[in-house]
Amino acid sequence: MADPVLSVTGLTKRFGAIEACSDVSLDLHAGEIHALIGPNGAGKSTLIAQIAGGLRPDAGSIRFLGRDVTALDTVARARLGLGRSFQVSAVVPDYSVVENVMLALHGRDRTAFRPFGHAFGKRALTEEARAHAARTHLSDRLNVPARSLAHGERRRLELAMALALRPRAFLLDEPMAGLGQEGAAELTALLSDLRDEAPILLVEHDMDAVFALADRISVLVYGRILATGTPDEIRADPQVRAAYLGDEVPA
Amino acid sequence: MIPERVFNWAVWGGLLAFALLAEALGETYWLTLAARAAIFAIAGVGLNLALGNGGLISFGHAAFFGVGGYAVGILATHAQTYTPLFGLIEGTQSMPVTWSVAIVAGALAALVIGALSLRTSGAYFIMITLAFGQMFYYFAVTWSAYGGEDGMSIYVRGGFPGLNTLDPLHFFGLSFAVLTLVLLLVRMIDRSPFGLALNAVRQSPARVETVGISPRRLRLAAFVVSGAITALAGALFADLNRYVSPAMFSWTISGEIMIFVILGGVARLMGPVVGALVFVALEELLGGLSDYWHIWLGVLLLLIVLFARGGITGALTREARRG
Amino acid sequence: MTLLLIEQLLNGLQLGVMLFLMAAGLTLVFGVMGLINLAHGSLYMVGAFAAAWVAAQTGSYLLALVASLAAAAAAGVLIETLILRRLYARDHLDQVLATFALILIFSEGTRAVFGSFPLYLTIPPPLSGPVTLPGGIEYPLFRLVLIGAGLAVALGLWLLITRTRVGIRIQAGAADREMVSALGVDISRLYTLVFALGAALAGLSGALVGTLQSVEVGMGEPVLITAFVVIVIGGIGSVQGALVGAILVGLTQTLGAFLLPLASTRLTGAPDAGQVLASMLIYILMALVLIVRPQGLMGRPA
Repeated sequence: MADPVLSVTGLTKRFGAIEACSDVSLDLHAGEIHALIGPNGAGKSTLIAQIAGGLRPDAGSIRFLGRDVTALDTVARARLGLGRSFQVSAVVPDYSVVENVMLALHGRDRTAFRPFGHAFGKRALTEEARAHAARTHLSDRLNVPARSLAHGERRRLELAMALALRPRAFLLDEPMAGLGQEGAAELTALLSDLRDEAPILLVEHDMDAVFALADRISVLVYGRILATGTPDEIRADPQVRAAYLGDEVPA
Repeated sequence: MIPERVFNWAVWGGLLAFALLAEALGETYWLTLAARAAIFAIAGVGLNLALGNGGLISFGHAAFFGVGGYAVGILATHAQTYTPLFGLIEGTQSMPVTWSVAIVAGALAALVIGALSLRTSGAYFIMITLAFGQMFYYFAVTWSAYGGEDGMSIYVRGGFPGLNTLDPLHFFGLSFAVLTLVLLLVRMIDRSPFGLALNAVRQSPARVETVGISPRRLRLAAFVVSGAITALAGALFADLNRYVSPAMFSWTISGEIMIFVILGGVARLMGPVVGALVFVALEELLGGLSDYWHIWLGVLLLLIVLFARGGITGALTREARRG
Repeated sequence: MTLLLIEQLLNGLQLGVMLFLMAAGLTLVFGVMGLINLAHGSLYMVGAFAAAWVAAQTGSYLLALVASLAAAAAAGVLIETLILRRLYARDHLDQVLATFALILIFSEGTRAVFGSFPLYLTIPPPLSGPVTLPGGIEYPLFRLVLIGAGLAVALGLWLLITRTRVGIRIQAGAADREMVSALGVDISRLYTLVFALGAALAGLSGALVGTLQSVEVGMGEPVLITAFVVIVIGGIGSVQGALVGAILVGLTQTLGAFLLPLASTRLTGAPDAGQVLASMLIYILMALVLIVRPQGLMGRPA
C-alpha cells in the first residue's frame, strides 16, 4: 500500500490531570473517507485541533504528505494542502458568499498580500469562485452576506471554502451538524464524489451519513481509539457496540 | 440620507472649495486652517487603515506622527547649520527627500513597534502601543542634540520643485494633493486582495489562518503602511508650523488622531477626513468661545461612542459599510 | 557611591509601591470587568486635588488623605454607574474612546475650577526631614512612610482578596464572570465596589505622590502609562503581577536614571547618551518581557 496522505502517531494531549487525547494513531489514505466517530467529550475536537495545527500535542507526531508537520502552525499546514472546515461555522460574517470563497482562493494562490489590483479583477478566479459556490449549491446566494445565510447554507459555504483551497486532504468537522434530512442527503452525495479529489478525514455525528460514506471508521472513546475498521467490521465489533453504538447502528 | 459616494465627493470638493474661497477673500488664516485639517486628515487616514480595516486599536500613532516631524526637523537643522548628519549626509529641505525619509523612518518605527505589540492582542495591544508612544516622547525630551524639550525651529519652510511653499495656497495645495494621493492609495488597498484579507482578519482570524494566510503578518503589514502614512502627515505638520517639539509625540496626539477617525466614522474611506475637518472647526469655534473647549469635545466623543457608533459619515449616509 | 546607590534603591522602591497603587486598581478593574480604563489617571488627579484643597482649608494632612480616598472613590462610583457600566459588554475600542473622553472632561473641568497653576501639598512636620538609617544613610522620612504605606496597602489588598467573602467573589469574578452571576452574587454592586476600590487607591497615590511633587492637571496620564507598562510586565489581571511589575519598573527607572548617565560620562565624556537610554529603559524592559513571555511574568498563557 502507498504511504498514507496523513498519518497520526501516538498523539497525546493533557489538560491538567485530564488526558483529552491518549496515544491516538490513525491514518488517511488516498481516495478514502475515514470517519471519526465517538460520543460527545470523546476528544474529537481536541484531536482535530491538533491535526489542523491550532493545538500543540504533548507527545506524538503528525505526518502529512510524507513530511513531519508536528511543529508547523495552522497557516503552514493549510499551505501544504490541509483543507479544514469548522464545527461551528467560522466564515467571515460581513462577507458575501463569493467574497468568502475569493478569500480562500487568494489564500491558496498566495496573492493575499498583494496591495494592488482589484480582489475580483481576474475573471478566471471569479469564475472559479462561482464554480465552487455552484458545486455547494450556493449559486443563487452569491451576494448574500454570510451572516444572513441559513445555517445549512453556511455549512455549505464552509465546504466551498475548503474546496477552493484545492487541498491534498480534507479535514471536515461535523459538516452535517444542524442540517435537515434533505440537506444531509445532498451533502452526503457531494462528499462521496469529493474523495477522488482528496481523501477526507470526517468527524461526524450523523450515523447514516457515516455508514453510507466511510471507507473506514475509527471510534474514539475517552480520548482513545477503541477500534478502526470498515463499516462492517465496526458494526460487528462487540466492544464498539457495548461502549458506544448501541442500537444506533443501521442494520 | 445621501449615498456615501456622493458624500465622499462632497467632502473632498468642500475642502477644496473652502480653500479657494479663502484665497479669493484673501483670508490666509483660513488657508492655513484648511492645510492643518488636510494634514490631520492624512494622519487619520493612516490610523484608519490599522484601526478600521485591521481592527488594531493603536493608541500610539503619535510615535509615527512625531517620527515624521523629527525627520523633517533633523534634516532641516543640518541644512540650516551646514553640518552633515552623522558627518556624512547633507541636511536638506527639499520636500520630496524629507518626505521619503519620513515615510521610511515611520515604516521602520511601525515595523519594530508592530512586531513587538502584535505578540499580544486586545487590551494588551492598546496598552503597549500607548507605552511605546510615550517612550518616543521621553526619547525626544531627553535628546538634547535635537532641542530636547524645546524642540527645533525650522527657519524656512521646506521647498517643493515648481512651487512656492511659503504661499499659503501653494502649501495647502500640496497638503491637499498628498491627502488625495493617500486616499487613492488606501482605496486601492481596500479593494485589493490584501484589503480583502485584512478586512477578513478583523472579523474572523481563525478563518483567515485556515486558508493559509498568516493573520499576524497581515496585521503587521497594515500597521507598517499605517505608520508610514501617519509619519508623512507628521512631516507636513512640521513644515506647516516650521517647528517640531516633543509635543508631537505626546499621547494626546494619539488620542486626537483617534478622534479624527471616530468622529468621522471608523473604516470609512472619508471618515478621518470628515473627522479632521470637524475637529479643526470645533477647535476654532469652541476654542474661541471657551478656554475649556476640550470638555465639550469630550462630551461629544462620549455621546458618539454611546449612541452613534457609525460617526458622522454613518449618520449622514445610508450605505452600510462593507466588510 | 554605595550610600548613594542604597538611597536610589529606596527611591526605586518608593516609586514602585506608588505605581503598584495605580496598577492594582487598573488590573483589578480589567480582570473583573474586562474594562480598560484610561481615566484611571484622572482619578489619581482627583485624589491629589481633593487632598490639596482640603489641606489648604483645614491644614490637616490626615484629613487631606481621607479626602483623596473619598473624592476619588466618589468620582469612580459616579462614572462607573453613569457611563462605564454600559461599556463592559462593548469592545475595547469603545472603552478606550469613552474613557479618553472622560480624561478630557476631568482634565479641563479641573483646570476650569482650579486654574492652570500647580498646587502644593506640604509634608506634615512630624514626617518631614531626614532620618538616619543603619549604616549612616540620611534618607527623607516621608519617602520611608510612602514605602511603608504602599506595602501596608498591598498587604491589606492581599488579605482582602484572599481572606474575605467580598475578596473571594472578586477573585471568582476575575476568573469567570458568568459563573459569579450564575451563583446569584449581585454582580453590578460587586462591579461598583471593585471600581470604587481601584479609584480610591489611585486617589491615595495621587495625594501621596502629589506631596512629593506638585498637584497639577495632566499629572495622572504619565503615571497611567507607566502603570500600563507595569501591567504588561506583570501580566494583566494579576494583582501579584502588578506588585512584581511595579517594583521592577520602579527600580529600573530610578537606577537607570542614576547609573546610565554616570556610565555614559565615563565612556563618552557626556551624560547625554545615558540620559536618553535611561528614559527608554522601562519600555525596553517591557519589550524584552514581550519577546520572552508575551503574557507577562505572572500572567496565564492565552
